[in-house]
Amino acid sequence: MTPQPILRVEHLKAHFRSSYFGVYREVPAVDDISFDVAPNEIFGLAGESSSGKTTLMKTIAGLIAPPLELIGGKAQFSFMPPETNLFGADPAQLAKIRWSKLSYIMQGSMNVLNPLRQIRFIFRDFAAVHIGGSRSDFETKTVNHLSRLRLDPSVLDAYPHELSGGMRQRVTIALATICRPDFIIADEPTTALDVIVQKEVLGMIRSIQREIGSSVLFVTHDMGVHAALTDKLGIMYAGCLVEAGPTADIFNAPQHPYTRHLIHSLPRIGDTVQRTGLTGTPPNLANPPSGCRFHPRCPLASDICRTERPKMRQIATEHRVACHAVAGDQA
Amino acid sequence: MTALLTLNNVCKSFMRGGILSRHRIEAVKNVSFTIENNRPEIFAIIGESGSGKTTLARMILGMQEVSGGTLSLEGNRVGGRTRKERLAFMAKVQPIFQNPFEAFNPLKKIDYYLLLTAMRFGGSADLSEAEAAADVALRQVGLSLSEVRGRFPHEMSGGQLQRVAIARALVSKPRLIIADEPVSMVDASLRMAIVNLFGELRDKLGLSIIYITHDLATAYYIADRLIIMQKGEVVEAGAARAVLSDPQHPYSKQLRDAVLSPQVTGSPSIK
Repeated sequence: MTPQPILRVEHLKAHFRSSYFGVYREVPAVDDISFDVAPNEIFGLAGESSSGKTTLMKTIAGLIAPPLELIGGKAQFSFMPPETNLFGADPAQLAKIRWSKLSYIMQGSMNVLNPLRQIRFIFRDFAAVHIGGSRSDFETKTVNHLSRLRLDPSVLDAYPHELSGGMRQRVTIALATICRPDFIIADEPTTALDVIVQKEVLGMIRSIQREIGSSVLFVTHDMGVHAALTDKLGIMYAGCLVEAGPTADIFNAPQHPYTRHLIHSLPRIGDTVQRTGLTGTPPNLANPPSGCRFHPRCPLASDICRTERPKMRQIATEHRVACHAVAGDQA
Repeated sequence: MTALLTLNNVCKSFMRGGILSRHRIEAVKNVSFTIENNRPEIFAIIGESGSGKTTLARMILGMQEVSGGTLSLEGNRVGGRTRKERLAFMAKVQPIFQNPFEAFNPLKKIDYYLLLTAMRFGGSADLSEAEAAADVALRQVGLSLSEVRGRFPHEMSGGQLQRVAIARALVSKPRLIIADEPVSMVDASLRMAIVNLFGELRDKLGLSIIYITHDLATAYYIADRLIIMQKGEVVEAGAARAVLSDPQHPYSKQLRDAVLSPQVTGSPSIK
């Protein structure tokens, strides 16, 4: 019996559409994606750059601005009433939900924190409205919360440039978690950090998530991070979700040819096997290949792959894959 | 055996602060190593940010003066003194930088950089020769001139742009490439293609590459020798696989233990 998912994404489609001087361009960056995120779970999303990871995040968070357009499907959070969702909800309602129910740890902490404001005021700007109470109560709460991330109260008086990269990243994590949101979206939160700091920061995300019992949608292209942190993993390729399942299954028994290649291309210390990169070029999303988008680079491609787009099929408990070659021998 | 690149007790210090709070920051302290001319290799420099890796790279490129010690390329002073010497030096040593979005001017088309490098350093006499040279270099990184021509940096993803940056460095057929975190912005599936490409360039073109990274797994995979830096000092040096399999210095051990292996064994390794 699986619990009610906190986020259900159904056939979500979001395309970039632009039309300049009569030249029409449509880029399907998020194309028919469906997945569920259960409460208290870290769901990882991996994929190469320009596979639409960040666009998917933005769409789920409701940050849709031209040229990005929502074409169809929905992303339903369990904390929203069933007939409404983030798209097209009125701004007052959205303002209540943002940060208190749904927060976002963004890529590049340096660009997120206002360089002209001390950390104290940044916390006040972001979170005071949602927490309420008097200013001194809020201050105490902030200090307590910072101590969970092993940050000294003195950082409140610092400007962002006075802190190191790791400390700034911890400040953005503190900002995203202080309201104890039900759902956190983390877009490459540790990419810019050194390995030692990265391990520390990931440990903190894990412990905070365990403590407040929220769900995290964690995006990174670093497969080592996925192996160490996430419970479930989705693999994206060219705007489509090609495989999703428990992280251990994906690492130990990858099914989709792209996933298989991705897992087998990772070098490990203490192992000198020759690793190969993927041949061919990533598809141009403005003019994606017909049928399965992976077929030009796929070693298993057959005629059906060139004409028909594979559907997601269940191959084991919670393990889904979209590939004709794999689904064929299982069906 | 002649040396391609020699570093002898190279130091770099910066002055920081105002009149009263003036203090000296030692960014690089007494770094020495040699890269031989007839033994091409991939030499990795490992360390966290602030350890002086990038400052060292900028000194080797002649972009920054050394504060102490000597640094020479084939016996000559790095960077050259006259304009002619400098151009000859730049054709031999080419950089690949960390962030491809900062490396390219967003208002210029990408092929401009390739053609300009071919004309200035690659010895191409006219545009058609430059285009041919650019196309050869682009094909070595899995692109082609027809894909890149007329496109602006914002139209390409970070991974694609980094491959263009590598192609640009290859255009002038250099002897030494300084790659500063070249794969940190590149996708996992293409990362190995680029790392293998470095191996190929070493074996086929006899090119030496200084590979600056914090990714220990790729350093273990491709590098021949490495140095580990902490706060401007070299804490451990030696053959790459020997050092990473059995690190001696406490900092190297800490670094080695923080690497997240792409393997799932039972419960998640981060609690």
